[in-house]
Amino acid sequence: MTDIVLAEEGRTVGAPLKARRSFAWMGLLPFFAFLVLFLIIPAISIFNNSLQTENGLSLSAMGEAFSGQNFEAFKYSIQFSAGAAIVGVIFGTLLAYAAATATRPKWLRNLVTAFSGVAANMGGLPLAFAFITLLGARAGVLTNSLKYFGVDIWDKGFDLGNTAGLIVVYSYFNIPLMVLITLPAIDGLKQSWREACANLGGTTFTYWRRVGLPVLAPSLMGGFLLLFANSFSAYATARILTDNSKIVPLRLAFFLGGDVKVGEDAVGFSLASWMIIITASCMALYWIARRRAERWQG
Amino acid sequence: MTDVSLPAAELPVDPELGGPHTAPTAMAPQPVGRPTAIGAAVLRWVVLVTAALFFLAPLLTLARQSLQNVPAFLLGSDTLFKKYSLGRLTQAFSEPQFGPALTLTVQLAIATAVATMALLVPTAVWVHLKVPKARPVVEFMTVLPYMIPPIALVAGIKIIQPHVRWFLNSDFSLVPFYMIFALPFTYRAIDAGIKAIDVRTLVDASRSLGAGWGTTLWRVMLPNLRTSLISASFLTMAVVAGEFTLASLLIKRTLPIFQREYTSSEPQAGYALNLVVLLATISLFVLISVLTKKRDRARTSFARQMEKSQQVAVETSV
Repeated sequence: MTDIVLAEEGRTVGAPLKARRSFAWMGLLPFFAFLVLFLIIPAISIFNNSLQTENGLSLSAMGEAFSGQNFEAFKYSIQFSAGAAIVGVIFGTLLAYAAATATRPKWLRNLVTAFSGVAANMGGLPLAFAFITLLGARAGVLTNSLKYFGVDIWDKGFDLGNTAGLIVVYSYFNIPLMVLITLPAIDGLKQSWREACANLGGTTFTYWRRVGLPVLAPSLMGGFLLLFANSFSAYATARILTDNSKIVPLRLAFFLGGDVKVGEDAVGFSLASWMIIITASCMALYWIARRRAERWQG
Repeated sequence: MTDVSLPAAELPVDPELGGPHTAPTAMAPQPVGRPTAIGAAVLRWVVLVTAALFFLAPLLTLARQSLQNVPAFLLGSDTLFKKYSLGRLTQAFSEPQFGPALTLTVQLAIATAVATMALLVPTAVWVHLKVPKARPVVEFMTVLPYMIPPIALVAGIKIIQPHVRWFLNSDFSLVPFYMIFALPFTYRAIDAGIKAIDVRTLVDASRSLGAGWGTTLWRVMLPNLRTSLISASFLTMAVVAGEFTLASLLIKRTLPIFQREYTSSEPQAGYALNLVVLLATISLFVLISVLTKKRDRARTSFARQMEKSQQVAVETSV
């Protein structure tokens, strides 16, 4: 560090400034090379393949991947992911608020955060199978208990692979993820703001409307985006719960499982391109929202 | 403002004795925002209990189907306490394809964890010491995997497959991609460990005693970072043990693939296997939080000691 400062003053010590600095950046080369090789090159080749058709560069495949049946799949995926995200945001915030304000058993809060840390990363096969044992069509415990009371949920249109079913299952990791996101924000709500609001004649409603929710808003928005991206890109869980390719990840997997001929399947790769575009923009917006949320969490 | 009629005498005056935080005069409005009423407490417990039921129910039903030696259609309230056994589990374990699948997944987990350390520890130390300016760039790169869904990454791999068939034919070609999937977790764990120790002093001390960079990393950094390295490798293992997308589309016979096939042919024994995997994953996460908490506690007490000794030093010097 010191010799860099000296170098800037013209009294060069050691190697010249520019060479030293680029040498320092060289240390990151293995890391960057690794990412380029195994993440960036595959990602770029997806876009490359979706834009290249027989007549050279064209957006036609991208358009085709977002129309007709594919459009229906995107619509369905986006709708159910948004539904799953809203459910996650509401119940996650409620749970976080309950855990943050419950003072009595001291371990309660720790339990909720520790469990959320575990469950937010759950998903995939074991979770899907666990829900099949609970809500499955034939041997689901809850399905059969409800049948005993005369309600056959599967007969009434419930299906673990449909919107409602997927939302229930995805909530298992979405709600804990939301708890982890909002808990710091809820802790950031200061008691003095409540008092200030009360002293100015505000009611509980005024407090939430004018102070509480505006402060929580970036966290809630960020949580929604993260949960949406999470639900939108999940594959393994959905694969176990349903066989039809109504949602985009399953549709893409169906295409990839077939005999992929590079150059002829621009539409298939365009599905992947659109998935990346949607997920990446959600995550980018999430980072902006998180930055805003941290303002009150000093 | 309807509370004006509230008799002031009934309110405990001192906020520390449980009185309201606002001035306890008859004119002061009720404290707002904080749920004080019984209704709010009830609501809070309704939320907590509902959450507990929702999160426990699937685990309990999974456990029941796995551990009871009763055909699924006979599982009812009357068979709730009958015929518990580990028979289904041994049935799953004795399946001839189980051994190779488990071995492959364990090998992949170890290889991924080791390769992650080898790549990320030097990188994170280097960023910390030499190019702090690169921190935001590197941090951004580590969250890139969030932006590209695994299933989309598979599409990219399928494109480059014809050029690197020799590589992708090996089961261990999954390792770099698993490193990528785990990257957001692992980098954060390692970076947190580095931030918690005085890297510069340790490195300077080691270097001035004549150690090269290799020795410094191996004999100074690794022991000091062991908690975060263990956390990072457990996170990696959890990711590898649950990864399905890539393995299924690249047709590798890992444990999750076996789990899926076996569960569709032998549901209850398959559930038993899933239960074990789930419990193993949960215990990895519990271990991580225990270890990290222990480290942080040790750190704070050490920091407090240092503070105290410095105070003593200051006092004696004055």
